[in-house]
Amino acid sequence: MEKYLLRNIDNPDSAHLVEYVKAGGYKALAKALEMKPADIIGEVKNSGLRGRGGAGFPTGMKWSFAAADPKRPKYLLCNADEGEPGTFKDRPLLEKNPHLLIEGMVISGYALGAEYGYIYLRGEYPAAKDILEGALRQAHEKGYLGDNVLGKGVAFHLSVHQGAGAYICGEETALIDSLEGKRGQPRIKPPFPVNEGYLSKPTVVNNVETFANIPYIIEIGADAYSKIGSAECPGPKLYSVSGHVKKPGVYELPMGVTLREIIYVHCGGIAGDRKLKAVIPGGISTPVLPADKIDCPMDFASMPKHGSMLGSGAVMVFDETVDLVKVCLRATKFFEHESCGKCTPCREGVGWMRSILERIVKGAGTGGDIELLLEVAKNIAGKTFCPLGDGAASVVQHFIKHFRNEFEEHIEKSKVGASA
Amino acid sequence: MITVTINGKKLLLEKPVTILDAAKRAGIHIPTLCHHEILEAFGGCRLCLVEIEKVPRLQTSCTMNVTDGMVVWTETEKVVEARKAMLEFLLINHALDCPYCDKAGECDLQDLSMKYGPAAGRFAEGKRKHPESYDDPIIVRNMERCISCTRCVRMCERVQGDSAISMVNRTSKTFVEPFSGGRYNCEYCGNCLTVCPVGAIMSRLHKHTYRPWYIEKEVNTVCSYCGVGCSLTAQVRGDSIVRVVPEMEKGLNKGLLCNRGRFGYDYVTSPQRLKTPLIRKEGELQQATWSEAFAFIAQKLKEIKEKEGGSAIAGIASARCTNEDNYVFQKFLRVVLGSNNIDSVAGFAFAPAQRFFENIFGQGVTANPLHGISRSDGIFITGADPTTVNPILGLQVRGASRKRVPVVTLGHMPGLVRFATQRLVPQPLTDTAVLAALVTELIKRRPLSGEKPAFEEIIGKIPPVSLKDAEERSGIPAGEIGGCAEILSGMTNPALIIGRDSVQSSRGQENLLLLAALTYLLNGRIYLLSELPNEQGLVDMGCLPDMLPGGRPLAVESFRKRYGEFFSTEIPAAPGLSLMESIEGAKAGKIKALYIMGENVAYNVPDTAFVKEALSSLEFIVVQDIFLNETARLAHVVLPTLAWSEKEGSYTNLERRLQHVRKAVEGARSSGSMEDWRIIAEISRMLGTEMKYSDAGDILAEIAKVSPLHKGITYGDMDAGEFLWPYKGEPLRHDVSIAGIEIPEAGSLLKKPEKEALYVGIERPLFHSATQSRSSSALNSILPEPYVRLSRALAQRMSIADGDSVAVSTSAGTVELPALLDPDMPEGMVLVANNFADRGVFRVMSWRMHAATKSPVLDGMEATLRKIDRKTAEVSG
Ligand SMILES: Cc1cc2nc3c(=O)[nH]c(=O)nc-3n(C[C@H](O)[C@H](O)[C@H](O)COP(=O)(O)O)c2cc1C
Ligand code: SF4
Ligand code: SF4
Ligand code: SF4
Ligand code: SF4
Ligand code: FES
Repeated sequence: MEKYLLRNIDNPDSAHLVEYVKAGGYKALAKALEMKPADIIGEVKNSGLRGRGGAGFPTGMKWSFAAADPKRPKYLLCNADEGEPGTFKDRPLLEKNPHLLIEGMVISGYALGAEYGYIYLRGEYPAAKDILEGALRQAHEKGYLGDNVLGKGVAFHLSVHQGAGAYICGEETALIDSLEGKRGQPRIKPPFPVNEGYLSKPTVVNNVETFANIPYIIEIGADAYSKIGSAECPGPKLYSVSGHVKKPGVYELPMGVTLREIIYVHCGGIAGDRKLKAVIPGGISTPVLPADKIDCPMDFASMPKHGSMLGSGAVMVFDETVDLVKVCLRATKFFEHESCGKCTPCREGVGWMRSILERIVKGAGTGGDIELLLEVAKNIAGKTFCPLGDGAASVVQHFIKHFRNEFEEHIEKSKVGASA
Repeated sequence: MITVTINGKKLLLEKPVTILDAAKRAGIHIPTLCHHEILEAFGGCRLCLVEIEKVPRLQTSCTMNVTDGMVVWTETEKVVEARKAMLEFLLINHALDCPYCDKAGECDLQDLSMKYGPAAGRFAEGKRKHPESYDDPIIVRNMERCISCTRCVRMCERVQGDSAISMVNRTSKTFVEPFSGGRYNCEYCGNCLTVCPVGAIMSRLHKHTYRPWYIEKEVNTVCSYCGVGCSLTAQVRGDSIVRVVPEMEKGLNKGLLCNRGRFGYDYVTSPQRLKTPLIRKEGELQQATWSEAFAFIAQKLKEIKEKEGGSAIAGIASARCTNEDNYVFQKFLRVVLGSNNIDSVAGFAFAPAQRFFENIFGQGVTANPLHGISRSDGIFITGADPTTVNPILGLQVRGASRKRVPVVTLGHMPGLVRFATQRLVPQPLTDTAVLAALVTELIKRRPLSGEKPAFEEIIGKIPPVSLKDAEERSGIPAGEIGGCAEILSGMTNPALIIGRDSVQSSRGQENLLLLAALTYLLNGRIYLLSELPNEQGLVDMGCLPDMLPGGRPLAVESFRKRYGEFFSTEIPAAPGLSLMESIEGAKAGKIKALYIMGENVAYNVPDTAFVKEALSSLEFIVVQDIFLNETARLAHVVLPTLAWSEKEGSYTNLERRLQHVRKAVEGARSSGSMEDWRIIAEISRMLGTEMKYSDAGDILAEIAKVSPLHKGITYGDMDAGEFLWPYKGEPLRHDVSIAGIEIPEAGSLLKKPEKEALYVGIERPLFHSATQSRSSSALNSILPEPYVRLSRALAQRMSIADGDSVAVSTSAGTVELPALLDPDMPEGMVLVANNFADRGVFRVMSWRMHAATKSPVLDGMEATLRKIDRKTAEVSG
């Protein structure tokens, strides 16, 4: 398939404005500024674009909520926190194609009547910060940003804010709190950010990749766009593939490509041609799938029907040599470390799961431990304040669901060890 | 209309409320932990999860609003299981040291665990460890017990406005840090303590000394520290107050207290309390019996009255005493001794300011409910920092500012620096120029209403002051003053909060006129700050040289006659002497006897040396007090009285709300001390005037007859709550009386200090007020030492660092104090408090009598500063 999001990516100077414009960049912006804001929102709605941050919320709908709120000013925030293990799909956009993001944000800002935008950038992406800031300067100089964008009397100002490394600050309301200088913790919803977001004003938060799709929709029109990939959620999608494949990396493929095709066609199959054991299809918080369940179309609508979620599209591949109990422990450690501490079940429960998993891995597990784990996970699931805690519970539940035997083996071994 | 069904009960609601509130209305209890009625929702503990039909997930009832047709279940198996699970989670990292914890018995977590909790612990690993912290005075932190509900943080940040604490760390390592140890400006209000559901934040005052179930009785009463008059509950055991807690839904403070009200009650049990009457014999105060003391006083007063006449006797009433005490006291002076020489410290600023405004706007103009401040559309403050003088009133200002109500402050107000929309900090003596410029600007912007033509005429005659002139005097850029005028002119019904520095100034009358003009131009409501609990009561009980009870002027014959007839006597028509005039009179030999009820004039009045000298030249001084203070030490007879917690009565707060002060303990009563009024009644009897009161209620009944304003009042009225002006009485109806108002000269508005002069003013620290706080070991543990507050710039010039010893000298004397540097102070000013023995500002302050108010003018006291070099001191010492 022809690349759009990663177009130009092999050009070593792709981040430069001149190269971007040479490859047709900022044409969509000029076109958009000739349209009425409401028509842009209409196009995005009709395109069927769903947010690429993980939840897959219809972008056009989110925009129309914010547009309908009479409060001013409005703010546009780009979620570039990309903190979930395994997810690195926004990174090439930020580092190699920053002008695509900028162009997408200026169009969005114009459509929404927002004059100020912020890119909330993952703290661990220092290179991206320099590249983005350079790109912003260039865009400003050339009149793609500023008080009078392309001389059309439209104002849009954009700057970068660097996060401090908390995964939870990728959650949009925690992101907003963090941007306001507070301790980053999710807020009560409603009110939603579209009505009371940054500084209590209407605010749209979108993922980097979501914004990167906007110029394309303007360029080719909603009709043509909606014909790419899955009918229910169309468009190009970035998949970041890691683990035991021959060619890990970020792939731009149409929505709905199957997991098997990603692993075996695009990534060249399992490294060393070993056997596949398990795949986490959409980032660490999405349910793990066993090797025989990878014929699923990778899009927001289909994945739940196949026992998992698309999430951020971060595919993590594990071959037959991997001890999945250890993977489960590692993932749980991550969630414990990143639990923001706001709600009881996640704050206390995830650490408890970790300690049970730890003793199983250490060879000190006992008979009731798997049941206890499931019990704790059940007590977390569905009761947390935000999806992070739910994710932690679901990870444990699914590892046990599909690979209970591995947990049992560990415990068996410790029994033998103890009696010896 | 919204229909919801909770556990099968149908409920009709007008407005959407949370499921939790709706359930409460239906009489259904949902357990909660992070929820608190005076805090905004948080939704973290997840204890209040409920099941909603057609909603897949359980929802937190404290955060979710009901919608029409919603069907809620609060006790399904799923809900009960979830609740149990949350409690289990909370306990895995909880210390579970209930037998040792002071909170046991009133701990939400303990109660909930007993009721809903899991049967046995399944958590095998070690709990987190966190040593108990005693880094703060008054407060002890035990973070092993913290359940991260953030109630304390929300209280501190959103209500108290301090942000002194925060949640730190993530995961189960989350805890609350740090109060201060001086670092984060904790105001030690203890409001976080009120809302902590567990024993994680506790008072150190009663650590391990009592258990909630030891409390024998709870007495609802009113704070004895300031004119706000917060409601509080004294918890009593073994005839002593073990703890003071606010009453969550009652009173004007609605569950909030400041550090003085919450922690400062222990002055009543100070070992320094007077125990027996003392009579001066051979130059020494010696223990005496009550009958000896009564006989001696009666005989001396009789003698002096017969020889010199009643006008040779003066009385000083007390803003710490009840209305009943003060009423009886003025009756004693007027009816028994035939003297109108009665006054109190309320006569310094509170009373003259109120009188000034009432002459223009009518009686009761300052009787404005406190909550009106946070509901107003603008606030202007001058003359004192309300967050230290009247802290709970100050919270109203902070609350308003949080709601983005514009707040303009004129003068240095440390507690509002982060809350003022615009701060005007003029150089000393130039606040008048700024006020005048604001009035000048507002006249241009706001049309006069025509409502009070006579006053409008006066406003028209105020000499205009340009922004430029104001800038040149005050050092504040003209643009900033103009900006403030712009902000003010956008207000439609603002609150004007006025403190005593504006009044007790050499330009006090000018300031009052300008403030009245501002009030009129802005359609404002006036709030007079009041440092003591019953200043308004003093005014209303007639403890003023020219005012009878109910705010009736002595000068009006009909009032005088009515009052006299009541007691079958004739009241002298000439107004009496003010407090300062009486002291001067003592020095001059005009006043022979001074009867002082609960006021420490030898300390609380400027120029201590002068006052002491004046008192020493008197023929006879009687002091009634709870302490042998500086004044009592000069007396001929000292009588021990009951403290606030030991007697019944009432206070009138600065909103003019009448409140019932209740007896909580016997206290000093058991060693023979008496109510102030009882002592006076006894002496009256011996002087031939029977005062037949068996309790405070009898006095109130008499007040209800004598004072038209207090017609028919009873304690029952006060107990019913919200007993506000004008009660059931008759306020004085009178025409605008502007006869006495002098139009200031432009020159007096534009006064400015001598170049380079440094002035000393009065610091009013939050942790102390007047003198009773210095006998509170609790408050002393927060602020044990006085200090001199000075600007950072001045300190830098003199190489003074924080804490350095500095000598502040004036023509009246010198005090040595550690320095406290303040970046927001004007350079030409240093501030010293008057709350500490021997090192109060009044030792170095002389005063002038104000011609109109007959009260001491306190500004313009020039001072010099000297850094005390320890090395030199050592060498020379
Ligand atoms: C714990 C957590 C972490 C998240 N991290 C990210 C992130 O790193 N990047 C992102 O775009 N969205 C993240 N999200 C999703 C955002 O909350 C939000 O849904 C998204 O930014 C919306 O953008 P979109 O509509 O364009 O997807 C996270 C959500 C949760 C609950
Ligand atoms: S589930 Fe709760 S504790 Fe965990 S990250 Fe979300 S809000 Fe924080
Ligand atoms: S005592 Fe008051 S100021 Fe101090 S932390 Fe608690 S709430 Fe905040
Ligand atoms: S200290 Fe108390 S109020 Fe504060 S978070 Fe902990 S448990 Fe809650
Ligand atoms: S504000 Fe005044 S009345 Fe209220 S608690 Fe503090 S000192 Fe007492
Ligand atoms: S009380 Fe509702 S979540 Fe804590």
